[in-house]
Amino acid sequence: MIRDITIGQYLPGKSALHKMDPRVKIIVTFAFIIVIFMCKNFWSLGLMVLFTALCTILAGVPMRMMLKSLRPVMVILVFTGILNIFYTSGGNKLLEFWKITVTDKGIYTAVFMIVRIVCLIAGSSLLTYTTTPTMLTDAIERILSPLKVFKIQVHTLAMMMTLALRFIPTLIEEIERIMNAQKARGADLESGGFIKRAKALIPILIPLFISAFRRAYELAFAMECRCYRGGEGRTRMKQMKVKATDIVASAVTAALLGAVIFLNIYFKPVIG
Amino acid sequence: MSAVIEAVNLTHLYGEKTLFETAAIKNIDLAVENGEFLGIIGHTGSGKSTLIQHFNGLLKPTTGKILLDGKDIAESKESIRAARFKVGLCFQYPEYQLFEETVYKDIAFGPKNMGLDDDETDRRVRRAARFVGLSDSYLKKSPFDLSGGEKRRAAIAGVIAMEPEALILDEPAAGLDPRGRDMILSFIKEYRQETGRTVILVSHSMDDIAKLATKVLVMNKGEVAMIGTVDEIFSRSEELFKMGLNVPQVTKIFLGLKEKGVPVRTDIYTNEQGCRELLRVFGRSVKE
Repeated sequence: MIRDITIGQYLPGKSALHKMDPRVKIIVTFAFIIVIFMCKNFWSLGLMVLFTALCTILAGVPMRMMLKSLRPVMVILVFTGILNIFYTSGGNKLLEFWKITVTDKGIYTAVFMIVRIVCLIAGSSLLTYTTTPTMLTDAIERILSPLKVFKIQVHTLAMMMTLALRFIPTLIEEIERIMNAQKARGADLESGGFIKRAKALIPILIPLFISAFRRAYELAFAMECRCYRGGEGRTRMKQMKVKATDIVASAVTAALLGAVIFLNIYFKPVIG
Repeated sequence: MSAVIEAVNLTHLYGEKTLFETAAIKNIDLAVENGEFLGIIGHTGSGKSTLIQHFNGLLKPTTGKILLDGKDIAESKESIRAARFKVGLCFQYPEYQLFEETVYKDIAFGPKNMGLDDDETDRRVRRAARFVGLSDSYLKKSPFDLSGGEKRRAAIAGVIAMEPEALILDEPAAGLDPRGRDMILSFIKEYRQETGRTVILVSHSMDDIAKLATKVLVMNKGEVAMIGTVDEIFSRSEELFKMGLNVPQVTKIFLGLKEKGVPVRTDIYTNEQGCRELLRVFGRSVKE
């Protein structure tokens, strides 16, 4: 039920993708996204699809999980498809009735757009599937650390993100526990109109807030007891190192960029 | 005697159809008789909590069923809801479920959900508060102003106020000081004597179980390892040790005495029994 919400959908594994430096992984993922948007025809996009599929296999992410990550964008996919079929002008007319015309160019564009979005989601899902949330925030902190020059407290922000992520499962567990306890006293959470349901949430939200504040205090005390003083002069338990795999990954991405540019020039573009 | 709660071939799987599928409990057959005091012991993760959450319909069995007074509780939505009131389940650390402005209102939450009128609710709230030893002056206080032990008692009163046929308490004394523990255990005993209703107590304290229970259920790895009277269970100390469980402290002392060659019986499970046995063995020689 509530546990089905996946935030931080890390899948443990030992693949090359899992072992990559998270900083490099984030940057490579960004580059990947940019390259996808540069694709102008099916040849270059096909290359990206192939690459995404290869990475998925390499990471050992099951197809079922990939499809699951696509479910939330299903509506957008359908919408994009329909809009592009009907609103693309030019090309050979295939179908015409009333004010609507469908052209082959429209269909091509629709398919192209859908494949592009699928590729985009699949590629960025790979990042979250192969990197733990803590590693991600750690890496973001490192990547953003130049912002310190502008007096932005990057470490504090990253720490807040880490803590928030860390406590999501804890709070979900807590909600379940409180819900069960109130259900055991006959709380009815499943029936009634909007107002009745909203009211039924009070016995759950109040204990939840109280325990969240209690946890926050406890955590703050625990951190202070261990002399936490913020980011200054802080060293790390897990050092990030750029390894051979990271260099290979960067090189492959660069090669992809080159290939896509080449294919864009060599073949006719599908979209303008 | 007739059974209040029956479990028939009950199995519950967590994370069904995923890589993490594990059986929390499997093939449990069990009958809890009317008026019985059932003690449940078992290792952490042995399936105790999963089992008791089936008794009031919070968890649905993967296979098998739960019968309440001979009727399947999963029959309809209404029967599941009725089960919540027939079987009062009090979770571990129940003080975290308090939410109302006053202790009175919080205890009244269950009876109100049952749809009882104000007079009946009032009677039940006061009766439940009296069982747990909270005087009238407490009822007007905010539950968040109470001490830890008082909060615990107020929360348990919230379950008792539903006047369930069977009261289930999961580690009601966990994390309390000795006085708080004694208080809780003694009112559970009084509650049972006065109402004559079924009580199920999940506990890690063998002493408490030996003192209170009429029947003991031992869970191990999601299965019923043993079930029987206090004597039947705690006489099998070897098996209990193997499961990472224990026998009451006083039993341990007598087992130790026996090992050292003192001619004592070892079927001693409460302090009173121990006292009598010591007098029996040493009484005469002390007099001489």
